[in-house]
Amino acid sequence: MTGRGLRSPASAATSLIVPLVLVALTAAIGASGTPAFEGTVTLILCNLIVVLGLQVFIGNSGVYSFGQLGFAACGAYVAALLTLPAAFTALQTPELPKLIADAQLSPLAATLIAALACGLLAGAVGWPLMRTSTLAIPISTFAFLIVAYNVLANWDAVTGGSSGLVSIPTTTSIESAGLWAGAAIVVALSFKWSAGGYRLQASREDEVAARSIGIGLMRERLIAFTISGMLCGIGGALAVHESGVLSPTTFYFAASVTTITMLVVGGSRSVLGAVIGTLAVATVNELLRNFEEGASAFGLISIGETPGLAAIGLGLILLVTMVALPGGLTRGREAGEIEPIRRRLRSRAPSPTVAATDGAGRHSARGSAGSLRAEGVSLAFSGLQVLRGVELALAPGEALGLIGPNGAGKTTLVNVLSGFQKPDSGSVFLDGLDVTGLSPPRLVRAGLGRTFQAGLPFAGLTVMESVAVGAMGVGVGRRRGVEIAADVLERLGLSEQAQSPAGLQPPGSQRLLGIARALATGPRYLLLDEPAAGLDDEESRELVAILREAIEDFGCAILLIEHDMNVVMDLCAKVQVLDDGKTVVVGTPEEVQAHPAVVEAYLGTSYAAGAHA
Amino acid sequence: MTDLAQSLIDALALGGLYALIAIGITLTYTVMGMMNFAQGEFIMVPAYALFALAGVPFAVAVGGAIAAGIAIAVLAERVAFRPVRNADLAAQLVTSLAVATILQNVVSATVDDRAQSVATPALLSESSQVGALSVPNLEILTLALTAIVLGGLGWMLYRTRTGLEMRAAAENFEMARLLGVRANRVITIAFAISGALAAIAGVLIVMQTGQVSPTMGLTPVLVGFIAVVIGGFGRIFGAVIGGLVLGVLSSLLGTYLPDGLVPFRDAIVFSLPVAILIVRPQGLLGAATGEARI
Repeated sequence: MTGRGLRSPASAATSLIVPLVLVALTAAIGASGTPAFEGTVTLILCNLIVVLGLQVFIGNSGVYSFGQLGFAACGAYVAALLTLPAAFTALQTPELPKLIADAQLSPLAATLIAALACGLLAGAVGWPLMRTSTLAIPISTFAFLIVAYNVLANWDAVTGGSSGLVSIPTTTSIESAGLWAGAAIVVALSFKWSAGGYRLQASREDEVAARSIGIGLMRERLIAFTISGMLCGIGGALAVHESGVLSPTTFYFAASVTTITMLVVGGSRSVLGAVIGTLAVATVNELLRNFEEGASAFGLISIGETPGLAAIGLGLILLVTMVALPGGLTRGREAGEIEPIRRRLRSRAPSPTVAATDGAGRHSARGSAGSLRAEGVSLAFSGLQVLRGVELALAPGEALGLIGPNGAGKTTLVNVLSGFQKPDSGSVFLDGLDVTGLSPPRLVRAGLGRTFQAGLPFAGLTVMESVAVGAMGVGVGRRRGVEIAADVLERLGLSEQAQSPAGLQPPGSQRLLGIARALATGPRYLLLDEPAAGLDDEESRELVAILREAIEDFGCAILLIEHDMNVVMDLCAKVQVLDDGKTVVVGTPEEVQAHPAVVEAYLGTSYAAGAHA
Repeated sequence: MTDLAQSLIDALALGGLYALIAIGITLTYTVMGMMNFAQGEFIMVPAYALFALAGVPFAVAVGGAIAAGIAIAVLAERVAFRPVRNADLAAQLVTSLAVATILQNVVSATVDDRAQSVATPALLSESSQVGALSVPNLEILTLALTAIVLGGLGWMLYRTRTGLEMRAAAENFEMARLLGVRANRVITIAFAISGALAAIAGVLIVMQTGQVSPTMGLTPVLVGFIAVVIGGFGRIFGAVIGGLVLGVLSSLLGTYLPDGLVPFRDAIVFSLPVAILIVRPQGLLGAATGEARI
């Protein structure tokens, strides 16, 4: 559970124990009240499991799904049909297959089967949906919710249609709901702190940067979507065995709004937020409902059937949270992160050349043909020809400077080399293999790292996390990822700030952090897009020293786009000049500086004069 | 042959309605980058205005409905969406969900949470003879309104200063602001137009179904969203195409689906577009986005 180096054991333990204690307290309070009160609290705990399911997907990916309640509905129907006595199923769902109709399983078995069924359904539904864009996922998942409702409400023979099911055994006790909720907390935190969880959180902070360190968005989202679907299914299955009745509207739009409000109010990024949000919103909701009806009512989840004051209150709470407290009550922090028990990461004795051996080891078979080459690469954007048949070759251990005026096509060339843009014509070869058009994550795994002009930090992760996730991105386990990150951070002199947020670093550290993140993927070719921009002379000199060391220690070749000519001349034995999408000249810094076209087009007469002075 | 022509006209009329909804969603998306869940309630509120204005002459009632649509859209922007204008996409989406929930339930609490029936003018439930075809007047009205809205919008966007500002804001909001585009004004106008379009759609839906209910906006907003996704985000023309595709699909499935499957028409209509997205995640007309900043 505890991530060595990612957080202290004390912080991790606190983060786990506090929500568990909250659940235990809630269950204890519920058990001490009237049966009706106990029933209400039991349903709140079932709701909490659904909200934790939402947290696993929404909190870690940063993408809203409006379809998770569809999985809660699926879990509820599966479990209900498996536990309904045969006499009742014959009446309510006459065409149900005999095997299911006659089945009268124990609550535990029914819940487990429901979880499995929902996991399978979420995997099957998520497979196409997670392929759609970040913008489209909220919509396509909303469409899934309506499709699920449509099927449940009209498939009369199996689901009982729009009138639903009654006489479902009410077997969910407050103890079992509490235990399941505790288990869901453990699952949600374990996922958040797993390598896959970190990869997904990195993609939440910045999609482009995540792809640049080898993270495959679709895969990571699908895993979380599936786990989320299972948890929601469990919540639905337990809830229906508390209330005893089920209809297609039980887990529909209103329930989606309720659960999303719970998550958002608590703070979607933390498991603690899911717990606190559920308890807070449920409490307010029950109070409003009592006020509205003058009596205690069962079932948060069935709010759609009695809309009015409580629902307006819910909407207002959601609105105020979004406007005034976007991070929710917990601001997205776990219990162990609220009172910073941050202990500075003790830098471990770095295992020498961690990343280098990793890189060389993975690719030794093709090492002999090693080089990164572009051949005749051309690319136009809506009529504007940006690259015109560019050639480029980067040999192992080499540092090649790429210079040219603004708009020469330097960044576009790096985008093509790293798979972010497809060339109209021409090819990219990595170690002799044609890799043109491969996705960035695949190229990263093949040993190609890059940084961005804009930095693109994972603002919400710590420095340590955002570098460790670089190693996790290429499939390294969490523990090993932390070791690699500790090593890289120490070499780049960033160990001091390992536990502080990546988004709050000064510009100099920000640049280094981008490089550290790329180095953690174990690249053999590192493409740097203006790493010295915004640095002062002193910082630039440090950067050159660090890059020189990286070339030696990590054994990786560097392609350097840079406007600061001193940095280029210091570091690179070879310089390639690009102008208007074409190569002007390739040669040693001296040759390039002497080239008349370069002096005129790029370096400018003043530089030439200064250099000769 | 006449059967086919008849179903094509039905399909086009439904597609026109969907296009109106999708254009409304697209307009506010282009100026604010927000997917507005509450667009469905911008349809529902004017529909209730029509319901409330039962006694007055129909034309006046429609005018009142459109005014209600504009008012609710502008109000929602001012009160709820302006504070989250610079928040991320997810935060804006959830904010609009909150607005939708509040509006739905205010109507539930003040009117009723069950559907109410609304009388429709006799003229609109009759049909006109066009050649060999008998076309419902409502469909003629829908098609005419869609054409007028498209024409008017085209004129506004390409022939007026406000339209130019709107297109500039859609391309690059920050840059447009630096160049003097009045952000609040452009966004308010976009919401006003969007509210008016939703109101027109709301009136047409009421004329078709003869009733209003607090959740009547849910399916239309999903239809609009999907149309926008199919057409490609932020493109008016894409929204029209997306709306027509969905309308034709839905209408033809209604006509030709085997009886046993008719109840599942919505499920099929909403599932198919996902297939388009798998092949073209950026929609039919959309350019690949998301990597513009590197």
